[in-house]
Amino acid sequence: MTMRLGLLTTVFLAGGALMSLEMASFRLVEPEFGSGIEVWGSLISVFLGGLAIGAVAGGWLADRRPALWKLGLVLLAGGAVTAILPLCSDPVFAFTFPGEGAPLPPEWLAPSAAEGTGGQITIYQPPDLRWPALTAGAILFGLPAILLGMVSPYAARLFVHQLPNMGSGVGQVYGVSTVGSIIGTLGTAFYLVSWMGTTWLLALNGLLLAALGLVLTAAHALCRDRHPAA
Amino acid sequence: MNRKVLFIGLGAGLAVGLLALWVAGQAAGAGNTVVRYDRESKYYRIRVVDYLNEGRRCLQFSRSRGIQSSMILGEPDQLDLRYSRSMVAALALHPAPKQVLLVGLGGGSIPKFIQKHFPDLHLDIVELDPDIVKVCQEFFQFKAAASTRVIVMDGRMYLKRSSQTYDVILLDAYAGDRVPFHLTTLEFVQLVKSRLNTGGLAASNLWEPAANRFFHAELKTYQMTFPQTYLFKCGTSGNFIVFGSLADQATTANEWANRAKTLAAGKVFGFSLASLVRSEYMRLADLRIAEQPLTDDKAPVDTLRHESPQGFEEGQPP
Repeated sequence: MTMRLGLLTTVFLAGGALMSLEMASFRLVEPEFGSGIEVWGSLISVFLGGLAIGAVAGGWLADRRPALWKLGLVLLAGGAVTAILPLCSDPVFAFTFPGEGAPLPPEWLAPSAAEGTGGQITIYQPPDLRWPALTAGAILFGLPAILLGMVSPYAARLFVHQLPNMGSGVGQVYGVSTVGSIIGTLGTAFYLVSWMGTTWLLALNGLLLAALGLVLTAAHALCRDRHPAA
Repeated sequence: MNRKVLFIGLGAGLAVGLLALWVAGQAAGAGNTVVRYDRESKYYRIRVVDYLNEGRRCLQFSRSRGIQSSMILGEPDQLDLRYSRSMVAALALHPAPKQVLLVGLGGGSIPKFIQKHFPDLHLDIVELDPDIVKVCQEFFQFKAAASTRVIVMDGRMYLKRSSQTYDVILLDAYAGDRVPFHLTTLEFVQLVKSRLNTGGLAASNLWEPAANRFFHAELKTYQMTFPQTYLFKCGTSGNFIVFGSLADQATTANEWANRAKTLAAGKVFGFSLASLVRSEYMRLADLRIAEQPLTDDKAPVDTLRHESPQGFEEGQPP
């Protein structure tokens, strides 16, 4: 019973941290790439892609000697890569979207005749932001999204003991995780962003996940006698 | 059976409700207004509306979020909105502006004014939304000039990636009723400063009808970046213009107004720039602001806008 409550708490907190991280990712990227729809779309896709890969990977891992300490390790790794994100962002932006302080690149400077009836205006077109934003997003947030995506299927495997209860068990795990995500989103949007900066927000989420990982690992050690590995 | 009736009832109710909303919307929009353009762009819903009894054409980003730009139908080069008149006072604060950058095209009032009265100025305009450029040409009589370039890009991205420098940078980039947060921070204002020539200056439009913590924090951000700062309150419009200048010495209201007089000599602005400067002039450096500046790391613009500020410690709170 304690074990099952602990697992639900874990997916709740991990779900919250995931969405808090996603909100923070917009704040981190916007000064560099602007707030255009390509940027939002890219980041959302990166997170969904990470979750998809994580779900498959987590499910695969869960079928091979599932143990609480392994879930703890996944969370610890997810927390670590989240916490160091602020340090990585500037080099990643410089790599994916180079050209700071240069004269306008010639491909922008090719004037194109504008449509409309107001006469010809020299218009310079912007660089294509799609690939730079997608690449920067994938490098920065791909790994944490994958690691956090592994949590729910793994927790579901530990949560469900008998096949006849699998549907309700998996449903509970995913439901609680999604409620956590809602709390994480609203909490970040309504309060955390105004209480702390992006750096602290990422560090806090990282620390929360890492602490959760350590608690699970410790719990595994303590409970080993009563719950032999399945 | 009962469930089916329930669903049909719900569906019919919903349809009637939506129809009533639509009819109410149509009725509210009727009168002496003509909608010339109403289309979703990549960023906004752009509307061009003629208010016939006022003889004005306005650019709006939605039905009710206020007016982005306004043009008098018979006088397209006139500066109609009060804030745009205060904004061009920047041209008088600089002793001899040659290169000007405007971030945020909107309805093009300021570019048209500059093109008409100062055709020798080189004007670069950065506008995020390509559809705004089209609408501005088609509905607001914004025309080409050899000295004008339009760059379709995020303002901050352009400033960061271009090495071009300016004498005057005018910041008027609004997404509806607010400035995007990445155009408010210390890092951004410092970037603007780094793209100014010696003695150059920046002027930023802030629409803040009610005093709030964001407004104070933004003033603080300019105060910390520029050696000389000024604040104009644009009548009762709710707009303020904050000016940040690299000049060694502060300009007095009289000096500024006199330069405005010289600048306007032989031209018909349709308003007195000199008396506008005299009545709106305020030195921002004299105010001690308690608020912290905004940074890329922490700029909770939306939250701060809903919080009451602590008063200014010295000088007149605007």
